[in-house]
Amino acid sequence: MAQTADRILTTHVGSLVRPPKLVEYIDQMERKQNVDLKAFDALLQQSIDDVVRRQQKAGIDIVSDGEFGKFRSWSFYVLDRLGGIEERDVVAPVGGGKDRSMFPEFYAEYFPTQRLPKRGTVVTVGPVKYTGQAALKKDIDIFKKALEGVDVEGFLPVVAPASAVPMFKNEFYKNEEEAMFAIAEALREEYKTIVDAGLFVQIDDAFLPYMYDVAFAGTDLENFRKWARVRVDALNHALEGIPEEKVRYHICWGSFNTPHVSDVALKDIVDLVLSVKAGAYCIEMGNPRHEHEWRVWETAKLPAGRKLIPGVISHSTNVVEHPELVAERLVRVAKLVGRESILGGTDCGFAQSPHVRRVHESIMWAKLEALAEGARIATRELWGKKAA
Amino acid sequence: MSGTHDRILTSHVGSLVRPDDLLAFIEKQQDGKPYDAAAYEDCLRRSVADVVKKQVEAGVDIVSDGEYGKSISWSRYILDRIGGFEERHDQSPGFRSAVAGKDRRDFAEFYEEYEGAYGFVGMGKAFKTGTWVVTGPIKYTGQALIQRDIEDVKRAVAGSGAIDAFLPLVAPASVVPQRVDEYYKSEEDALFAIAEAMREEYKAVVDAGLIAQIDDAFLASVYDVMVPPKTLADYRKWAEVRIEALNHALKGIPQDRTRYHICWGSWNGPHTNDVPLKDIADLVLRVNTGGYSLEMANPRHEHEWRVWETVKLPEGKYLLPGLVSHATNVVEHPELVAERIVRLAKLVGRERVVASTDCGFAQGPFARRVHPQIMWAKLRALGEGARIATKQLWN
Repeated sequence: MAQTADRILTTHVGSLVRPPKLVEYIDQMERKQNVDLKAFDALLQQSIDDVVRRQQKAGIDIVSDGEFGKFRSWSFYVLDRLGGIEERDVVAPVGGGKDRSMFPEFYAEYFPTQRLPKRGTVVTVGPVKYTGQAALKKDIDIFKKALEGVDVEGFLPVVAPASAVPMFKNEFYKNEEEAMFAIAEALREEYKTIVDAGLFVQIDDAFLPYMYDVAFAGTDLENFRKWARVRVDALNHALEGIPEEKVRYHICWGSFNTPHVSDVALKDIVDLVLSVKAGAYCIEMGNPRHEHEWRVWETAKLPAGRKLIPGVISHSTNVVEHPELVAERLVRVAKLVGRESILGGTDCGFAQSPHVRRVHESIMWAKLEALAEGARIATRELWGKKAA
Repeated sequence: MSGTHDRILTSHVGSLVRPDDLLAFIEKQQDGKPYDAAAYEDCLRRSVADVVKKQVEAGVDIVSDGEYGKSISWSRYILDRIGGFEERHDQSPGFRSAVAGKDRRDFAEFYEEYEGAYGFVGMGKAFKTGTWVVTGPIKYTGQALIQRDIEDVKRAVAGSGAIDAFLPLVAPASVVPQRVDEYYKSEEDALFAIAEAMREEYKAVVDAGLIAQIDDAFLASVYDVMVPPKTLADYRKWAEVRIEALNHALKGIPQDRTRYHICWGSWNGPHTNDVPLKDIADLVLRVNTGGYSLEMANPRHEHEWRVWETVKLPEGKYLLPGLVSHATNVVEHPELVAERIVRLAKLVGRERVVASTDCGFAQGPFARRVHPQIMWAKLRALGEGARIATKQLWN
């Protein structure tokens, strides 16, 4: 994906901290209170106009809409855009499986401080259909309007089948696999519409690696891989007919600032990840649990024409990455996969829901600026001093 | 310390999260409420014994007392152990404004929120002390307290399996840096008087067979307060005098039993205006200690392992690189710890690297940079990483 350039381009994972006024509206709308919808739309457009320009100013080449138009969260927004499902037993999430059992006192302290959207168990109760056409059109229209006259490209982050329904109950289809494929087919409409509109689509699949810890006790690799295989196949089904170079795939291990000691190792899933028919892969390498995994690319082979977007910025600390560190992280991966095959990225979004904020907004921008500065330094090192 | 082992040894910066029963005593002390002094001493002794045992279990070779015997903070504990000062409450506390540097100006809204939630650096109410004024000759008066700390940790270490033990002590530059001086002719006179007083503490620790770690977080973090408007050259002048004073304090103390810790302030802030290590490495290396403990794990300073590509570590000295960070709850992967050790060992020699942390985990009794469960997981990851690095470096 992305044009060939003689430098390291920059992007990020998509969600950005929302302006307080926008959150106020979303909060009211989520509580089914009456709001002035016209005023909300105008504010949304203005907010996305601003955030697109702010990203460009920070030095980001491929920008997002900040996910400002999404309600609930990066994944659960989609439940309002699918027919044939029901959400039952809505509760607040409590966090990881094995990780939580290893650090129970920490989790007991940490999770109540997180403003996480409640969620329920999704049940397939009829044929699953995409019903989000209007909401999606609005996201696209607003974003494209914001991009007018700004010299950047745009991507829209949307949810992968596995992460739309990480744990679900099937009461309609013959089996779980058939249900997954039906969900994938419904989501294809979302992916295709975005690409048809001339934008990059980013498929977010944080739950794919994360479920190893949650549903497979952080130990049962074999069954986890079977579970994941079905999801990856379903995603590829969803991506059928969509040009690979317009698709990027994001995985992470959950963006909580938690120990992450039982995260599945990248080396144990890299083959699955690479089997996703996407032009680029955004993978965490900016936090201390996954930073060492740049070495996976010493042996794993990035398929020809595909790109890697390593996370070289972390949202799990307020300390702003030094641009020299960003450059070091980019250069060592570039030396393994080729300088034309990488873009500078972040570990994850900065605001997985309108109500969540991984770092203060001012720190988020400082981190994105450090990313751009680091990419400039890496460019000088990789192309020689003249190129930059 | 260095050259005598055929593996990477581990240590850390010293302060560890205090247990609740110990905190209950310290809270009463600080509130000026009555408490059972004998019961406190007993609790302290047991807590130190316990925390030494836990360090050994986690894989720490060179252990500390967790700074459990200290009041107020890593630096201000000295107010209980030094004479010549008077505390006055007629002025507003100086600490906050004294560290208000460029980082705070650039990220004012963040700091506002952060302080609201954590207290300035997570010190909580214990940090609200008055203004300290020098009113007479500065003298070390902490003989009994330092002897108690020495005895507590020595008793804990005996038979624990720890290879060695250290006590963290404050550097002259970090002793009440915001004091008002009504006694000495110049700032330099006061500084050297402090150094003379501190020598007694350092010497007591080393004479007792322990390693003295000299903590000097103020040295590096003052740059952010001074520059701009002042320049790097101004800052270096300021720092040079302080390092001379420290060397004055270290006179006669065997180098191989001392180590020097600097950091850029342990609060979880942006740190975008920290002075680069390359601009002060020569000053740091002037300090007459055997070991140098430096941040290399957090993303503002991680890249500075490369400073050692050009800066030469003097003969007989060793580094204690920070390999795990207190600024995130994410626990470092042991493979990352190993990678960080190995790349540095290849520059300075495998015998000259002792695996360590960026800073302490609890700079005061009530501060806590991460949950204690995470602190222990990070120390275990450090030990595990040192084992992996050992395999790679010694085959």
